Amino acid sequence: MTIKKERTRGQKWTRRAFIGTGGLLATGLVIGVAGNMYMNKAVKKYSGTGMGEGESLNAWLRIAPDGTVTVAVPRAEMGQGVNTSLPQLIAEELEVDMSRIKVIHPQPDAPYANTFLLSNSEPNFYDGYDMMEKVAGTLALVTTGGSTSIRDGYTNMRYAGATAREMLISAAADKWAVEPTSCRAENGFVINEKNERLSYGELALAAKEVDLTELPELKKPSEYKVIGKPVQRLDIPEKVNGTAEFSIDTRPEGLLYAAMRHPETIGGKITSINNKDAISKMPGVKKVVLTEFGAAVIADNTWRASNAAKSLDVEEEDGGNGDLSTAMISAKMLETLDEAPLATPENEGDVESILTDEKSTVIEGTYEVPYLAHAAMEPLNCTVKIAEDNSSIETWVGSQGASLVKTWISDVTNIDADKILVHTPYLGGGFGRRGEPDFIKIAAAVSMEMKGVPIQTIFSREEDMRNDMYRPAAMSRFKAVVEENGDINAWDNMMALQSVTNNAITRWMGSMMAPSPAKDIMTIEGAAHLPYNIKNKRVAFGNVELPIKVGFWRSVGSSQNAYFTESFMDECAHAAGQDPYLFRKSKLKGHPRFEAVLDKLAEISNWTSPAEPNRFKGIALHKSFGSIVGQVAEIEKVGEKEFKIDKFFCVIDCGRIVNPDTIEAQMEGGIVFGLSAAMFGEITWTDGSVDQYNFPQYDMVRLSHSPKVSTHIMDVDEYPGGVGEPGTPPAAPALTNALFAATGQRIRSLPIAKQGYKFV
Amino acid sequence: MELNINGKSHNITVEDNMPLLWVLRDELNMTGTKYGCGVSSCGACTVLIDGVATRTCTLPVVAAVGKEIKTIEGIAAEGNLSAVQKAWIEHQVPQCGYCQSGQIVAAESLLDATPEPTDEDIDKAMTNICRCGTYQRVRAAIHTAAKYRKESATLLG
Ligand code: FES
Ligand code: FES
Repeated sequence: MTIKKERTRGQKWTRRAFIGTGGLLATGLVIGVAGNMYMNKAVKKYSGTGMGEGESLNAWLRIAPDGTVTVAVPRAEMGQGVNTSLPQLIAEELEVDMSRIKVIHPQPDAPYANTFLLSNSEPNFYDGYDMMEKVAGTLALVTTGGSTSIRDGYTNMRYAGATAREMLISAAADKWAVEPTSCRAENGFVINEKNERLSYGELALAAKEVDLTELPELKKPSEYKVIGKPVQRLDIPEKVNGTAEFSIDTRPEGLLYAAMRHPETIGGKITSINNKDAISKMPGVKKVVLTEFGAAVIADNTWRASNAAKSLDVEEEDGGNGDLSTAMISAKMLETLDEAPLATPENEGDVESILTDEKSTVIEGTYEVPYLAHAAMEPLNCTVKIAEDNSSIETWVGSQGASLVKTWISDVTNIDADKILVHTPYLGGGFGRRGEPDFIKIAAAVSMEMKGVPIQTIFSREEDMRNDMYRPAAMSRFKAVVEENGDINAWDNMMALQSVTNNAITRWMGSMMAPSPAKDIMTIEGAAHLPYNIKNKRVAFGNVELPIKVGFWRSVGSSQNAYFTESFMDECAHAAGQDPYLFRKSKLKGHPRFEAVLDKLAEISNWTSPAEPNRFKGIALHKSFGSIVGQVAEIEKVGEKEFKIDKFFCVIDCGRIVNPDTIEAQMEGGIVFGLSAAMFGEITWTDGSVDQYNFPQYDMVRLSHSPKVSTHIMDVDEYPGGVGEPGTPPAAPALTNALFAATGQRIRSLPIAKQGYKFV
Repeated sequence: MELNINGKSHNITVEDNMPLLWVLRDELNMTGTKYGCGVSSCGACTVLIDGVATRTCTLPVVAAVGKEIKTIEGIAAEGNLSAVQKAWIEHQVPQCGYCQSGQIVAAESLLDATPEPTDEDIDKAMTNICRCGTYQRVRAAIHTAAKYRKESATLLG
């Protein structure tokens, strides 16, 4: 058989494939590294769990006698469409119709490691970058986040499909005693020169035994029939008839429900329960438990458990943070801005001497954003069943960190990770919150108190909102010198916030694995290395030490940095007396992809046409997670400080397109997510506790507030970028820049509603 | 007490004040109706009670006795998707999907009361939260569903 060794694209991909193999090595699944993860015999024989009937040709797909292809999607489906877009990659190369495909979420085993996750920022930002990528591969982290599913799977999944196709062709050729090169694959069949056909279902058993010696060639984009098409999502039919199972819908035989009672203050600890006996006698209550994470009541119904948990009378130590308040946090951030920075990741030219030159006119602005909750629609929950004799654990949890689920449960229960089975139902929203260990560890601790029965531990909305790992509050102080011709001669940005990566990775894997705050690339993502040509620039930050738990929140650093930088860019345009679009454009020489996005955006938003009365526009441009997104907000003034957000125009360059409808949906949703934060979102602290309890105090954009979004996807033949997060960052600055155009008032602190603005 | 859900009668023994939501989810294992807030704010728990969209997380079960309860599981009559469900698929509305049972039920109720809703009618009636931000597709799908309902009414008429 002649299979060309050549690949359609660069070396980087090869490297990723091999790193994936590293993960297998680490867990002892694979011994030889000659070849790769698709052809390697051990991986090929490794078939995953729960793949249904049929024959596995590799870890990603199994073919049943009737031709059904079960695809193992090792990423969680949380609305971003992976259950469809990843199978599209396989279907393309395997030559099967999407209607033949069934999706399962496999056990989070080594072949499925997401090696892209820890390397999703600009390459070689810090020395530690490549190291982190290797760590991800070696630990075989099967995780969903960082807008990485397509970027990680784009190569893997296509090779999984292509190698399986070649194995099927080879098996058919053997049967017919002809050369494989004389056969072709089409729509679930292998066809020879005489037009005889054998179905994949008939061939799978023999195909399984085929050993390929070389990687097959991948299709050229011009040959794509499935990739790049708006394939209907496979998960949607069951999401319109109520049958889709989220983790909260898990109903194993004998299920009990547990409601949590967390400590009131950060770092607090519930030390005892005063009314345990009375609570134990409440209707339906099976057991009242005290764990290291808090108290919980196990009952036969969620409502009964929740009522009982609310009635608990507990003693609590406050953990020494009982005086923490939002005012104190803001003061601390301001102090940090004045101190010497912890790190200066970007420092070109001589910013200091320009800023201090008396001939310079320095413009200045200090921006602030608050803590934010994730508030995924499905409150956090996790179902765990521990065998009475500790021989096994079964768990059902919507987690973005499936392989870590095993580690975390093992840590709490002292039961070996390889005895733990992890089911991944649908996630009712993730946004980063579902990558955290807390709700999983708590569920494991509760289930340890009552073995032999499955227990679903649920946070009430109140517990969910008040015990989040929040997007940190942050400040950015800008100084700039803008020349008369519009050149930015100096740009200085000093930030102050808690380190998300240090904080979160410490929770995930312990402090040894966590990068120090100085090395946290998430802090500067979207603030440093902007595309704009600026002669002298300095981006620095300080770390604000606080006991508040902060975590990854849809678009992470970019969630505040896009608002900061794109607002101040607008301030610079205003100082130069230039149009905000043309001002940005003049600084994009040498960055054609950014310029093309900006130009397209101006075109679809009719930026240069004279505005209708009482209508105003604001523009923002931002790159995150490998994709460039530009947005224009078009608002209508309906009263004094009263506006309607009428339209959003959005242009994205995410490289090669896998599913355009999914990309549009992610832009629409990402904008609403960004607007909710910009308009209303705020978590505040009083006496060490969160002030907001539920949606009435932490409101979000609803249908009547949501703009009409028009999205244009650029046609760019480059490696794909992410799409789950990049739609969010530009929304806030596009809106606040539009409000500036309308009112002449610069909004330097969010949420906007707090500045007296109203939205209709 | 006896509950009539999706045309079937169910006998249950629970506290009178248990919200209907938890009777559906935990006593009857009908998990299509979701818990989102428990305070009648988000609409995830919406079902039709005598044809009217009702948030069940704060509705004592006893208030639903003797009424017709229709949940998301009962929207597709004999397995045939409703006009709303068809439009939902056509517009590829759901993302995570968690709020969608509530959105669909609220849309059914809106269209029953207002067969050809304007954008303003939709703004007023559709107050459910979708954290994934599927609102513009919800709006478009409601207009499409209104069209489908009208067409099938003409066919039948
Ligand atoms: S759960 Fe009933 S309105 Fe939110
Ligand atoms: S689709 Fe996720 S909350 Fe609406």
